Amino acid sequence: MMPRRYRSGPLVWLSIIGGTSLLLFLLQKVLWLVVPALLALLIYYLLLPAVRRLILAGMTIENAVTLVSLLAFVVIGVGLLVFFPSLAARVGNWEDWLGRYLDGGLTFMVDALRQLEGQLSFLAHAHVADNARAAITEFASTFITRHLGDALMTVAAWTPSLLLAPFLAFFFLRDGPRFKKFLIRAVPNAYFERTLKLLDEVDRTARLYFQGLLKLTVLDALCLALGLWLLGISAPLLLGVLTAVLAWVPYIGSVLGCALVVLVVATDFPGQTELAYGAISLFILVRLLDDFIFMPLTIGRSLRMHPLLTVLMIFVGGAVAGVTGLMLALPLLGVMMVLGEAVGQIVNDPRLRARHRHACRLLNQRIRADLR
Amino acid sequence: MPLLRPRRLSDRQQQLAAISLFSLLDSAQLRIVDHLLHERHYTAGEVIFDAGEEGQGIYLVLQGEVGIFRPGEPPLRLNSVATGGFFGELSLLGDAPRVAQARAIKDCRLGVISRADFTGLLDTHAHIASRISLQLARHLGGLLRQSAMAARPQP
Repeated sequence: MMPRRYRSGPLVWLSIIGGTSLLLFLLQKVLWLVVPALLALLIYYLLLPAVRRLILAGMTIENAVTLVSLLAFVVIGVGLLVFFPSLAARVGNWEDWLGRYLDGGLTFMVDALRQLEGQLSFLAHAHVADNARAAITEFASTFITRHLGDALMTVAAWTPSLLLAPFLAFFFLRDGPRFKKFLIRAVPNAYFERTLKLLDEVDRTARLYFQGLLKLTVLDALCLALGLWLLGISAPLLLGVLTAVLAWVPYIGSVLGCALVVLVVATDFPGQTELAYGAISLFILVRLLDDFIFMPLTIGRSLRMHPLLTVLMIFVGGAVAGVTGLMLALPLLGVMMVLGEAVGQIVNDPRLRARHRHACRLLNQRIRADLR
Repeated sequence: MPLLRPRRLSDRQQQLAAISLFSLLDSAQLRIVDHLLHERHYTAGEVIFDAGEEGQGIYLVLQGEVGIFRPGEPPLRLNSVATGGFFGELSLLGDAPRVAQARAIKDCRLGVISRADFTGLLDTHAHIASRISLQLARHLGGLLRQSAMAARPQP
């Protein structure tokens, strides 16, 4: 009997979208685990090619993972030793530093509003610039006194959780194949090949997504750093990397990154508004490059989703789980799509179910053979 | 703990060495293949895969015997694969559906390498790829010779 080619119906698709939304809702409750696990997955897929190379060169998986992890720690350690002192020297007293950059950004915004007031009389009558300055100054002063302590406490509370990431990544690398075999061992023979395909697809989707995300981050960081360097802005590479990492959060991340660079430009180059507008234009340009060239070349290839579904899912993710939902919506949907289609295939294949029942019958007969 | 693998092969690796597909591999290469292996147990009479299914792996007979059947009523036994043999390679090589049904004739212990792992192995390790490819070519040549002999009219 030749099996019919299976295509997912509306029920399966509804289950995929519903399942993704439910998972997003549940995952935001265990953020302390989700964030380090995501970072661990990023590290895992970053280091996996090197580990595979060493295994194929004849090393045991344990030795290959230990060696690659040690090398990664050395690289990160050297990077911190090189960059941290210069960053610390640049930042100096963080409170003054934060206040200086907030003040610079505020001055830039008020100047821009005053220019607008000069051209639009109704804005001048409403004293938009003065009101905005007063509101933001009040917010900033109350924020610093009321919430900065809480924010620093949150960062301190999150640090041990984030330190889980390299620990998790090490065990993902070392025990990942063993865990996959362990999972497959529990699957009955009739469903074995379908499960093999399912796990390979989930792995492929996650690998392409996270490796795509890393490539996208590198491309974004390089483009932004080059643009900022051409504009003559200080620390272009650091700003490029920071803003590219912020862009992992769809929409909000890019806006935050842009705001960060405008703050730096407005403070380091006071009065040069054209430079701040140049930085904003650069962000818009990189955003467009991202959406139309880089994203389809990197992440877009991995998920093969309809653009409408992608945008819809990002909005659903945001509504269900806030910023976490925005970040997790697409990778989770990718994995749920693979799972949904595979489970749909298995449930809708009577031949597989019949084979499983037949195998159970044969085994039962064998077990009871000498009991008759 | 030494950085490189110890030299002694495990029992399963020794069984792998006896499989014609891997007979040209050295011990380090056998360990790489062993690392990719899923072990499955089948009861006599149990279907391993059906004709028309999408092939997801190559099967190595570590113990037991497997029959290859052409679908039909009654099914026609085309071949049998005993300990040390392998099957399921055609759909992996041709990226095509399975052409026949595989069913355990005796209780079997099979090693399975998934499509992704098998093609990944061939893509990333030139030495293993060339040795496995040579054995696969010999195996397919043998199958061709068998079918040519079977098709020749008897005098």
